[in-house]
Amino acid sequence: MAQNVLPRTVQRLIDTFARLPGIGPKSASRLTFYLLRDKDNLALDLAAALQEMKANTRLCPVCFNITEEEPCLICRDEGRDATLLCVVEEPLDVVAIERSRAYNGRYHVLHGAISPVEGIGPEDLKVAELVRRVQQGNFREIILATNPTLEGESTSLYLQRRLMHEKVKITRLARGLPVGGDLEYTDEITLSRALEGRQEL
Amino acid sequence: MYVRHLSLTNYRNYGRLELDLSPGSTLLYGSNAQGKTNLLEAIYYLATTRSPHAEQEQQLLNWDADDPTQPIVVGRLTASVVAQGEERQLEIRLIKEQKLGQSSFRREALINRRKVRLMDFLGNLRVVLFLPEDIQLVTGTPSQRRRYLDITLCQVDAIYCQALSQYNKLLEQRNALLRQLAEGQSSKELLPIYDEKLVHWGSLIFARRALFCQEMGREAQRIHYESLTDGVESIRLHYLPRLLGNGQRRNGVAEPLAELGSWLQMGGIDQEAIRTRFTRELQTAVPQDIARGVSSVGPHRDDWLLEVNGRHLGHYGSRGQQRSAILSLKMAEIQWMTQVTQETPVLLLDEVVAELDAQRRSLLLYYVKQAAQALLTATDPGMFTADFLRQATSLAVQNGRVLTSSDPIS
Repeated sequence: MAQNVLPRTVQRLIDTFARLPGIGPKSASRLTFYLLRDKDNLALDLAAALQEMKANTRLCPVCFNITEEEPCLICRDEGRDATLLCVVEEPLDVVAIERSRAYNGRYHVLHGAISPVEGIGPEDLKVAELVRRVQQGNFREIILATNPTLEGESTSLYLQRRLMHEKVKITRLARGLPVGGDLEYTDEITLSRALEGRQEL
Repeated sequence: MYVRHLSLTNYRNYGRLELDLSPGSTLLYGSNAQGKTNLLEAIYYLATTRSPHAEQEQQLLNWDADDPTQPIVVGRLTASVVAQGEERQLEIRLIKEQKLGQSSFRREALINRRKVRLMDFLGNLRVVLFLPEDIQLVTGTPSQRRRYLDITLCQVDAIYCQALSQYNKLLEQRNALLRQLAEGQSSKELLPIYDEKLVHWGSLIFARRALFCQEMGREAQRIHYESLTDGVESIRLHYLPRLLGNGQRRNGVAEPLAELGSWLQMGGIDQEAIRTRFTRELQTAVPQDIARGVSSVGPHRDDWLLEVNGRHLGHYGSRGQQRSAILSLKMAEIQWMTQVTQETPVLLLDEVVAELDAQRRSLLLYYVKQAAQALLTATDPGMFTADFLRQATSLAVQNGRVLTSSDPIS
């Protein structure tokens, strides 16, 4: 069979690639043979990059974002408003908010959202760490920036209750119309949220 | 509204079908098991994204095309729908894929060849379907009756449809949480979070169903009392909302639920009052819910029933009474949908004309003639009057093919 024809090492790389999300056996073979034939040392560069990434990254002990330094660059940055804290689900959410250039405070990464169906509860997330951070820190506002999904909203509601008694203002991102969107094609829930969150001009 | 063209690929017993349809009445005739019902069901599926029978959707794929050695099998249903002078193409794709020895099934919905969410697909084609099995709305399970409410309401009310989808997702999360709580794996402080949102969406569903039952009940009674039984029988539609943890059943009717139903139906449907009540009942039921691992209160446990002259139709009604009442209900559905949307829905009647007596038949055909389009199936066209056949387009259905001929059948 085909499996015995390929050398063990090649087959191993194919199988390893196939374990990645979004990659099926076909893509895995294609990637493997691309690396096999490549003349520019891509395979070795890739191996080094992977090794370095695994060896040098860890979670920031303050905000739990991915970092190479402790604490991370954002937590260290003196130019940032240390009284603002933005709570997000994933490290990529930090990237997205940073890209907006509209925020200059600190972050807290939860690493997921509450979902009983998937067996994820508050204890599986960096929630206790957040509560401790809020109690010890000098924040004036906590911005809950979880995703507008059912799981994200439940997490946000839960955090709101957990932080209710702290002397800090709690806000969450507005829900509404996408910029450049079309009112006619907006679904009813989004529209009704946008109406609820309307602002005086 | 009407369907101008229907195209099917690998759907049920149709390998391929291109069928032009005209406004007015169309009679599909042929022997059993030739594909008459499948045609009606295809149109129903395009309107509701559901099959009339709660079965596995994979079974909608053509048996011959559904070859497990093929990496991908695609079934397509397309209808060109004319509504208010505009034509729209609705398409649903049924896709079965084989990957790594596992088969997956998914659906795609398209309007004018652009992919949309299933939720946004609904409402572009509205139908009322008459089936011989409709009698199960009286004799069947509460879940069949809820399905009827949901499918009918979703065709005209996008907010209801979204509320239902949100509610079901929340319910799944809540039930998972209940089971974790029973095993001491989670904290009770999570429950109020789900309950708060469950109440928000659930109350919307309660209110909408109550209003629907009220409007439908009124219309059904008018038709039943005035036209169908000449003042002999009165029917009432009772909404039975599961706003109480333990519905005690007396006389086979959940009395407290019926009371609540009339409170909802008569009380002007006050959202705030529903919310307060729902919240309270959810909280009361928590210990029981944790013990059982399921949520006992909420619209997912609703029911409704029909009464004829004050008696429970399912328990005390004769077969004939049950058939008549369902007929009145379905005709009320046509009226209701027409009033709400200002347009007649497409009527789909599967073999129902055969079992009606002359008076009921002529009443039903009156509605058929009023509609912009109606599709009827029959094994024997002879049961229709010559007058009706002259006005209708007749199409013969034979072994997954439709033979078009403009000649009326003699």
